Amino acid sequence: MDTIDAVIRTCHTHGRPDLAEQLTRRRGRLLHPELRVLVTGTAQQGRSRLVNALINAPVCGILPDGDAALPVVVRHAAAPAAHLIRRESPTVDWTVAVGMQARTPLAPERLGASLAEAAATLPAGAPVHVDVAVPRSLLAGGLVLIDGPALHSVAEARDLADRAGADLVLWTCEAGRQLSDAELGVVSALSQVFPGLLVVLTKADYTADWRHDLAESRQRLNRAGIAAAVTAVSSSLRVHAVRAGDEALNKESGFTDLIVYLRQMVEAKPDRLARAAAGALSRMALQELAVPLHAELANQDDDGSSETVAHLQATHRRLDELRKSTVRWQNRLSDEVTDLMSDIEHDLRDRVKALLAEADEFFTTADPAKSWDEFEPWLRQSLQDLARTSMSWLTERTEWMARRTADMFPEDAGDVLPPAAPTVGRDSLAGLSGLDAPPVAEFTPGQKLFIGLRGSYGGIVMFGLATTLAGMSLINPISIGGGALFGGKSVRDESKTLLKRRQAEARVAVRQYVDDIFTKLNKDARDSVRRVQRALRDHFTAVTEDLQEAAMESLRDAKAAADRDAAARELRGRNLRTELARLTELNTQALALSDRARA
Amino acid sequence: MTGGDLEQRAHALLSQAAHVYRGHPRAAGRLRHTLDRFAGPLRLAVVGEARTGRSTLVNALVGEEIAPVDPATFVTYRDGTQPRAWCHPEQGRPYEVPVTRGPGGLQLGADTAMSRAVVQWPSRVLRRTELIDTPPSVPPGQILPEADAVLLLTPRIGETDLRFLGAGRGLRGPSVHPVHAMVVLTKADTHGDGLPGGLLEARRAARRRRREPAIGALCQDVVAVSPMIGHAARTLRDDEYLVIARIAALPKAEADPFLLSTDRFTAAGSLTVVDQQARIALLRRLGLGGIRLALALTRTGSTTRAELADRLHEHSGLKELQASIGELFVARRAALKARSALIVLDQILRTELLPPSPQLLAELELLMAGAHDYAEMRLLSALRSGRVELPAETALEALRLLGGAGTSLGERLGLPTEATVDDIWAAAGSSAELWREEAALGSRTPAQRRAAAVVLRSCEAILADLTVTTP
Repeated sequence: MDTIDAVIRTCHTHGRPDLAEQLTRRRGRLLHPELRVLVTGTAQQGRSRLVNALINAPVCGILPDGDAALPVVVRHAAAPAAHLIRRESPTVDWTVAVGMQARTPLAPERLGASLAEAAATLPAGAPVHVDVAVPRSLLAGGLVLIDGPALHSVAEARDLADRAGADLVLWTCEAGRQLSDAELGVVSALSQVFPGLLVVLTKADYTADWRHDLAESRQRLNRAGIAAAVTAVSSSLRVHAVRAGDEALNKESGFTDLIVYLRQMVEAKPDRLARAAAGALSRMALQELAVPLHAELANQDDDGSSETVAHLQATHRRLDELRKSTVRWQNRLSDEVTDLMSDIEHDLRDRVKALLAEADEFFTTADPAKSWDEFEPWLRQSLQDLARTSMSWLTERTEWMARRTADMFPEDAGDVLPPAAPTVGRDSLAGLSGLDAPPVAEFTPGQKLFIGLRGSYGGIVMFGLATTLAGMSLINPISIGGGALFGGKSVRDESKTLLKRRQAEARVAVRQYVDDIFTKLNKDARDSVRRVQRALRDHFTAVTEDLQEAAMESLRDAKAAADRDAAARELRGRNLRTELARLTELNTQALALSDRARA
Repeated sequence: MTGGDLEQRAHALLSQAAHVYRGHPRAAGRLRHTLDRFAGPLRLAVVGEARTGRSTLVNALVGEEIAPVDPATFVTYRDGTQPRAWCHPEQGRPYEVPVTRGPGGLQLGADTAMSRAVVQWPSRVLRRTELIDTPPSVPPGQILPEADAVLLLTPRIGETDLRFLGAGRGLRGPSVHPVHAMVVLTKADTHGDGLPGGLLEARRAARRRRREPAIGALCQDVVAVSPMIGHAARTLRDDEYLVIARIAALPKAEADPFLLSTDRFTAAGSLTVVDQQARIALLRRLGLGGIRLALALTRTGSTTRAELADRLHEHSGLKELQASIGELFVARRAALKARSALIVLDQILRTELLPPSPQLLAELELLMAGAHDYAEMRLLSALRSGRVELPAETALEALRLLGGAGTSLGERLGLPTEATVDDIWAAAGSSAELWREEAALGSRTPAQRRAAAVVLRSCEAILADLTVTTP
């Protein structure tokens, strides 16, 4: 009893109140002096006949339809009495006392008829059983026989045996038929909880080679590892024997052995049977308790990577990723900057070249001296436009570069773009000084006169000499005309030459000017690119540091969690093991109990 | 439409399908096999768990000791001019094996593991019906395609039996009519303590079961039989009769104590009028219940072997079973064979789709919708079991018209063979009139009206037949 108490306590601590309750019920019953014997089996195996033959009274299976017979509880009483008892619900124990309104008295002398009447008044499927009391010396010792309903499954059998409050189970099976595999399963399950289970082969009188069947059943049970005795009886022989008072026939029926067995069990109940039952029950309960523990332990052993460890690994991976991304974004940034610089330079050069071409074009026709005022603002405007477009393009490119670099960060790093794109130095040409007109060689009227005279001199001489031959003087109207012609041409040539020179000078001046501007712009652009690069580098470095810090932090957390978890698992495992050891110890006690019961 | 018509149309449909599927080896093979079988006798499988008396029942039905050949295989017994046997191995072609007759059935000279065996045995019983002895615990999926009809042997109808019966009943197509199964409650002799009244009790129980809708909906009949006593009755020998007669001659009070148990009956010093070996042999043949029954019958007036055998035959329930088989299976073998063949066809048409398949399927459905045989058979079963009750007079006529007493025109109309065509016309016309009224009677229950409608349709089928044959 101490063992079973300990087991009940263990059940409670393991959160199995159902098991504890079941054990408590059985424990209470084990202390009860009466021995309740449940006679059961599959349908039509002679259960009721067996009970009837045992007590020599037709009390069981008396309703006409054999399969639907009501369960009958047969007990001892000085005077015969019978009641139909209606239990509150199918799950209520049969042993629970019921009030008067749930008991329908039946006439013991005409049991069948009154039972049929009483049963007809009840709703179909109501949980009822018949309680019959008969004056029999066999029952006087506290033996209670229960003719249970037919059973087919293990769960059904366990439930019935538990509800009916059985201490001992007799499993009936007709001779001439093997125990089926399903039956063997039920018998095996029952024999674990009910020590002393007896398999009774009925109808032995009718079967030619029942001895062979008996031996075979014993073998089958042995092979299945079921600790159950087998005996063969013949109810009809017993009935004949009792009717005729034939002692030899009674012996032949096999009932004497069965009765001896039952009497032994009644005597053994407070001592050996109770001990064996307690042992068996405890073992069964402990096994049931141990199953989840073992499962958990096994789970722990083979499934090492718990959630925290997985998290830890994930954090590690993230950190690695971050480290790799640092190198990647740095490379990307420097690549982009190099690209950008060359692109910007090329772009600027392109635009400047176009501008220069335009200016050259302009000066092929225009006279710088006359149109400078017109040209100079245009040039300035164009240069400023050029600078602006190139700068805005640069800004776009830097933004794009920032994004490209940000792409190199791991996806889970979030938004790492700088809040505002790094500013590019704008209006770098704001203070652009105007281009002064190139010094123009003036072509004054004096010079013109001088050049004209110089040119006309040749003409006058050439024409004068020719006309002297014709007898004219050197200075004559013809020579003067020729001189004027030559003088005019000289002046025109001279002024053309001067224009060419001015244009060339203007071009050179513009080229120089634009070159200067280009150098300045280029430098500005390079500077701003570098500035941007620096700004981006600083920003991304900061971001990387932040991320790394966060990752390190979470890694530390994960590590700590994993450590804590491992410790907890270790503790749980230890607890489980000690608990299992405790269960094993209790099991040994239970085993010892059973062994003592057997001894 | 009568059985012959159904058979012809089913055969035509099968031939058509065989033509359509000639390019598909699997389907074509199955169809050819089905067509081959279509021409053969009815295949009746005897099914049951171990030790339910399958082989004994086969022997009892044949009336000779031939089963079991090999309890682990399907054994088909068919009629033939001389005893021969073929072994169908798991692989390879079947081959003939020598067959010898031993004390516990036939023995085949087969040395390899057989999947099935075919035994040819000259017997009148087997002429129109092949019997198939099956191994125990074979799933229904293996048995049902092999047989046209099934005898399910069980000591009492349990869950597994209902599952087996349920497996044979389909949801659509030709298998919706559970006309192929009959439940045989064996070990009828063990009822009521194995006293002679037990057999009667078993028969009453069978009648109760057959009336239950859950069981009646799945099989044609439930019959209680003691195969052991039935077999012994059909093969009762003179020496056995002598032993019985000698014991029966003893005063009842003197013999009875030795009949209480098998031990007492075979004990060395008991019933000294008969040799112990003879008693043991008799017990083996008849069982204790059989011996008690035989003694009771001998004491109450069976004075010859033939008389005793006949009464034992009747009491064992075998006669009733034979009548049931004859009436519900053998007489309807055309419909049953058509049913099993059409089940195969239905399955092939639904699983192996070819362009003409839907059309064939529609034709099959048309055929099934027009097949009145199955409705007749179900109603016959319902009337016999009492699931449907008609007034006594009309019930007899309904049974007759439905073909319960024979499926020929004359038998259905209850006319003698010399009746003229005019007589037949008159009888058929009046029957149709009567049942048309019956089907419309307001005082009948719906079930009765439905039954009357089925009978009316049978009458109309007879009239239609007459129109065809006598223009």
